[in-house]
Amino acid sequence: MTGRRPLRRTGAEGRRWLAFTALLCLLVVVAMSAVALGTITMPFSTIAAAIFQFDGSRGHLLVTTIRLPRVIAALLAGSALAVSGAIMQAVTNNPLASPGLLGINAGAAFAVVCLMTVFGSSTGDIYIWFALLGAAAAAIVVYALGSLGTTGQSPLGLVLAGAIVATFLTSLTTAVLIFDQSTLDAVRLWTAGSVTGRTMAQARTVAPYILTGLVAALFLGRNLTALSLGADASRSLGQNPVVWRGVSIAIIILLAGGAVALAGPIGFVGLVVPHIVRMSVGIDYRWVIPFSALGGALLVVTADIAGRLVFGSQSFPVGVTIALVGAPFFLYLARTRLKAEA
Amino acid sequence: MMRIVIALTLLLCLLVAASLAFGDVALTWRELYHVATGTDAPGPQDAMIVFDLRLPRTLLALLVGVALATAGTISLAIMRNPLAEPGVLGINSGAAAAAMAVIVLMRDPPVVLLQVAGFSGAAAMALAVYILAWRGGTSSLRIILIGIGLSSLATAGTTFLSAFGDIGDVQRAMIWLAGSVYDANMIKVRLLALWLVIPVTLAFLASRELDVIRFGDSSARSLGQPVDRVRGGMIVLVTVLSGAAVAVSGLIGFVGLVAPHIARRLVGTASHARIFPVAALVGACLVVAADILGRIVLPPVQLPAGIVTGLVGAPFFAYLLWGRRNGRG
Repeated sequence: MTGRRPLRRTGAEGRRWLAFTALLCLLVVVAMSAVALGTITMPFSTIAAAIFQFDGSRGHLLVTTIRLPRVIAALLAGSALAVSGAIMQAVTNNPLASPGLLGINAGAAFAVVCLMTVFGSSTGDIYIWFALLGAAAAAIVVYALGSLGTTGQSPLGLVLAGAIVATFLTSLTTAVLIFDQSTLDAVRLWTAGSVTGRTMAQARTVAPYILTGLVAALFLGRNLTALSLGADASRSLGQNPVVWRGVSIAIIILLAGGAVALAGPIGFVGLVVPHIVRMSVGIDYRWVIPFSALGGALLVVTADIAGRLVFGSQSFPVGVTIALVGAPFFLYLARTRLKAEA
Repeated sequence: MMRIVIALTLLLCLLVAASLAFGDVALTWRELYHVATGTDAPGPQDAMIVFDLRLPRTLLALLVGVALATAGTISLAIMRNPLAEPGVLGINSGAAAAAMAVIVLMRDPPVVLLQVAGFSGAAAMALAVYILAWRGGTSSLRIILIGIGLSSLATAGTTFLSAFGDIGDVQRAMIWLAGSVYDANMIKVRLLALWLVIPVTLAFLASRELDVIRFGDSSARSLGQPVDRVRGGMIVLVTVLSGAAVAVSGLIGFVGLVAPHIARRLVGTASHARIFPVAALVGACLVVAADILGRIVLPPVQLPAGIVTGLVGAPFFAYLLWGRRNGRG
């Protein structure tokens, strides 16, 4: 689909392992600094002590209740969004596809807005479940619609079904928000995408879904590569594209649904990180998936740090900084790495 | 083909008549007839309602529908992606960011400024996408990707403003962005009509080029088509068409995506000379119908037409895609 770089050269495999390890180390460093940096800078020793020998002091409390949950939320959401975006683009054969196209963002936003309209904004953590359920319900409807019809499942059907359901739900949400100022006020930070004030309990609620999805996605790489070459290619490789498409979509629901519930409807990561990865490491999904996971996590955590340090605001929506950090890089890659073909 | 065009034209006439008749003051068909022909001395206020309030609004909706559908048909053909609507060029996000900035950063901006901002935002984004995607030629994939990147930057700006702006301003901006035709007047209608004549004609005349470019750059090139020049020209047309639509009516989404797909379903994908008129009629019907519904569903509240196109257009499109296919099969 994108960035065909011939990586048949000897040592390409080795270089990928090297790059992967380097990226992993970078991610660890960035995540540690995300916990350390802020209005009060924490030395690494305090962080380690807070995790392993918690003594209830102010510093330890700050680490365990504010900084750490926030970083974990960013890591989970970032990797989940990027991986689900990569799967989505493979399944639909469409570079414009993102988890949002499955109706996940629109469904989650609609569910959360309904909840807040009916019960007011002080509903606690229940909204996470609503977001999760809304996302899953919308995605299942999209998948069902996309599988109907005599031609059976096709990427075109899925993509159009997604556009239909997402538009419908977004229109409903907008209609509610236009007439209900207090709900608009309550959800606008959430809809911008934010990891502010996330708690350990919230992260623990969605972590099982995201982690299951991530592990499953790692095993799916080979099948995804075949799927991304189109239904004909995948069938001639002895694969049943319908089955694998269904499995892929189930994984996307776990991943992106969890991410949206945790961090709000962030569009950019799922759309762009897979492109960046494919332009960098090629189109083999056995590599695209792990690199996407690392890249997405790295992007969201970096963006969160940037938002906190540069803009000096704890509640600066990470959805905004993600685009500011990621888009220039993406534009550069799209300009330089894509050949004039296609 | 002829039958479809005639049926759609009749439907459009019916919708226009309904749009003139329905509203807070409902007229009967007979009253509407008398007002329209000027016979039987209608009440002066009926005539005012029909000619000064509802007619401009209806015509504006019609023109916006035509503009969006034409732009969508062109985008679908040159991008060769079923999701390619004019928004892919960054037009919507550019207009949204510019309008949001004007509304949030200024106290009570005049409507004209909002329209100018909407159009310039759209045009600037389309231009930026094309320039950045140019690298000794263009490719549809690169345009799509650059469009994604630049749109996300513009959307980040919009999101930032909407997260921190005054809540009243944000709400007003959302209403504008949702897309509606309620502040129409005859001057606006005439301007838009004049503005649209040239690009719509050009697009129609270029049907053959679109038929060819649809097959892919290399096929088109081997058929002797100057692909880059054609694509550049078409992008200009898309920008002019949907930029104008955005300026007068905000973001009426979905029409640009759906109208060409419906038209392709009705008359096939082979010839754009057949797709264009059908798509334009479908687009006009959609927006006029959405405006009527937005007026009469929850009176006295007026739902923006852009929301109704989503609420009504989406299920209708789903029915077209799946209902009919199953019925036959």
